Amino acid sequence: MTATAGRVWCGALGVVYGLVWGFVTGLIGGVALALASGLAVRPSLDAAMLGGAAAGLAIVFRGPEGRSPPFLAAVGLLALVVMIGLTGGAPLALPLDQAPLSQTVTLLAIAAGLVVALHQCLAPLTRGAVNRHRIEHALIALFRSLGFVLFTVIVVLPFYVMVMTSLKNQQLLLANPLDYSIDLSIGAAELFRSYVELFTDYRFGQFLLTSTIVSVGTVLITLAFAVPGAYAVARMRFRGRALTARGILLIYMVPAIVLVVPLFAVFSQLGLRNSLIGLLIVYPATTLPVALYMLQGYFRGLPFELEEAGQMDGYSRPAVIWRITLPLSLPALATVALYVFMIAWNEFLFAFMFLDDVDSFTLSRGLVSLNSSEVPRQHLMAGAVVATLPVLVIFLWAERFLVKGLTAGSVKG
Amino acid sequence: MASITLRDLHKTFDTQPVIRGVDLTIADREFVVFVGPSGCGKSTMLRLIAGLEEASAGSIVVGDRDVTGLPAAERGLAMVFQSYALYPHKTVAENIAFPLKVTRKSQAEVDAAVQRAADVLRLGELLHRRPKALSGGQRQRVAIGRSIVRDPAAFLFDEPLSNLDAALRVQMRVEIARLHRSLNATMIYVTHDQVEAMTLADRIVVFSAGRVEQVGPPLELYRSPANLFVATFLGSPQMNILDCRPADGASSVALGNGAVVSTARPTVTGTEPARLGIRPEHVDLAGPDEGPDVVAGVVGVAERLGSDTFLHVDIDAVGTVVLRADGDCAAAEGARVGLRFRPPQVHLFDADERAVTAVA
Repeated sequence: MTATAGRVWCGALGVVYGLVWGFVTGLIGGVALALASGLAVRPSLDAAMLGGAAAGLAIVFRGPEGRSPPFLAAVGLLALVVMIGLTGGAPLALPLDQAPLSQTVTLLAIAAGLVVALHQCLAPLTRGAVNRHRIEHALIALFRSLGFVLFTVIVVLPFYVMVMTSLKNQQLLLANPLDYSIDLSIGAAELFRSYVELFTDYRFGQFLLTSTIVSVGTVLITLAFAVPGAYAVARMRFRGRALTARGILLIYMVPAIVLVVPLFAVFSQLGLRNSLIGLLIVYPATTLPVALYMLQGYFRGLPFELEEAGQMDGYSRPAVIWRITLPLSLPALATVALYVFMIAWNEFLFAFMFLDDVDSFTLSRGLVSLNSSEVPRQHLMAGAVVATLPVLVIFLWAERFLVKGLTAGSVKG
Repeated sequence: MASITLRDLHKTFDTQPVIRGVDLTIADREFVVFVGPSGCGKSTMLRLIAGLEEASAGSIVVGDRDVTGLPAAERGLAMVFQSYALYPHKTVAENIAFPLKVTRKSQAEVDAAVQRAADVLRLGELLHRRPKALSGGQRQRVAIGRSIVRDPAAFLFDEPLSNLDAALRVQMRVEIARLHRSLNATMIYVTHDQVEAMTLADRIVVFSAGRVEQVGPPLELYRSPANLFVATFLGSPQMNILDCRPADGASSVALGNGAVVSTARPTVTGTEPARLGIRPEHVDLAGPDEGPDVVAGVVGVAERLGSDTFLHVDIDAVGTVVLRADGDCAAAEGARVGLRFRPPQVHLFDADERAVTAVA
């Protein structure tokens, strides 16, 4: 690549990256300010993009050794100046004297985010030294960070709205439904009033208990069937084994909505509606196929010599499974248990169809019962938080079991 | 310790026969090596004895107990796997103690047994490590340690050294020989490495296509192979095999170029030799026209290993004969040389590849 072509590439990528990150940081900063303060913010994205382009050009034509913190700070200021200049002093569509502190913080955060992102993504590109390898690196850096930002926003935004709404009261929500700022001065009791009422007036404690029983029960029942089933398919030689192995997933092809009507009829006749037994029959049936499939794949991956060694060491096959196969399958068992727990915890269709009696409601069923005109929105959101938190906590706790490489060192070198 | 007797053992996978009728008696405290090319059924044999595969027909007797129908756990045998098969979630000490846990021995007895095994195999330092922190040779020693703690009726080794590098393999081979002497135990050892077979075995069993080709002490098999397969399987470089036809006299054959070679080995009457076999070390170098018992040829390739030189001599209408000469042999590639076959070591085989010549 000639020096001129290299410079053109550098400049073009600097501008494009600047436009992209100007857009992203401007949008996120503006939305964050709006959500946090309730101000009528509308960030000027075209100005942010042009500011970003200026910053991108400034960084890309500076050698790597020159991209020091003071230089980067200056670039950030340059971007801010461009943004403010192009919008006539109102980059967030607000006069600068309205909520000056919040606006300043937001603008500085936008500039800082922009510069950091550009600095990271443009690191492979330096003036005069551009080749295909470096451009590929820069592209990978761009997509990686964009993906990271995107997923963070997707996860954090609804959660933020949910939590903040649950902490507000009726008047505030009616006054400004888009204001997600909270006033900490009202005190903990007032802040968490929705939660308290949820447990006192709406029987959420009982729903929580029901959901726990159903979910844990589903996990235990599923594992009780999936472990021997998957082991048989993975390890034993019997007639129809291949058909069984493939047939397992075929069951999953039938949509639940097709099953729910005949099941409703049958369960009504058997008196299984409004009973946890009914759910404990249906939930494992829906989770078993995937549990079997995941476990058999893992069992196949375990070296069978380990089990043979166990047999040679004097253990019966059940003892070998218990002492060798299952301890080594802990990551797969944890994954399956977690997956089944979440399916059962979040399951709505069957719960909605089979449970009419408030005494037998699960959390998801109870949550929907809140969704009526009489129940304020903050209670609904508080219910959603209550339904989400246990799964979140369990996930973070169970993550330690999902380690890889448990079988390292067992066979060969 | 116990003897092992196999009677008319068969094994069929689906419709594919893998073991086609094996009768074999392994004496108490004997070290028997199963050798054969890959796919010959030697590992299946070991797994049948271990109980990891079920025999399709025939019986297996360990000591005076028929174990044919018993699961592996109840046969009282120990096995060392090619892949080591250590339990990765247990420490070295726990791995070695695992076979004892099932016997409900007291913790003190278990600890003492583990310590004894660790002493024998020099694993003392490593007892608290996990398998993934061990080298290949250490893992193999742990696997052996796990097999010896239970005082099994016999030890089964399934290509235990194949995954080790060459230097370590030599060292572990010596250790296994030493172990056999100190434990004084019945051992069955499967390998495709003929050096391991020759050096370790009291008796070698050569398998081919699910059948026993020949059983005997290593040198007996080497010196008096019963058929062409055994003759070419043992020995490296392998025995030269040349087409021949009977010449005048019971123990003389004519090669493709008309040269007559005679053997000093007694021949079985009523048989007709079709192939001649001679090992590279039993061919002597001579001048090309030195006498009637010399076959002339041209050196095609000379492989100089330092201690020995292997000359590949091309002979018109006969083929290539490999011979072992001294390390400082001067014969150059392209030179015309004469070959003299030592009569006591000339083997003859008939058209069905059975040996015509018996022990010299």
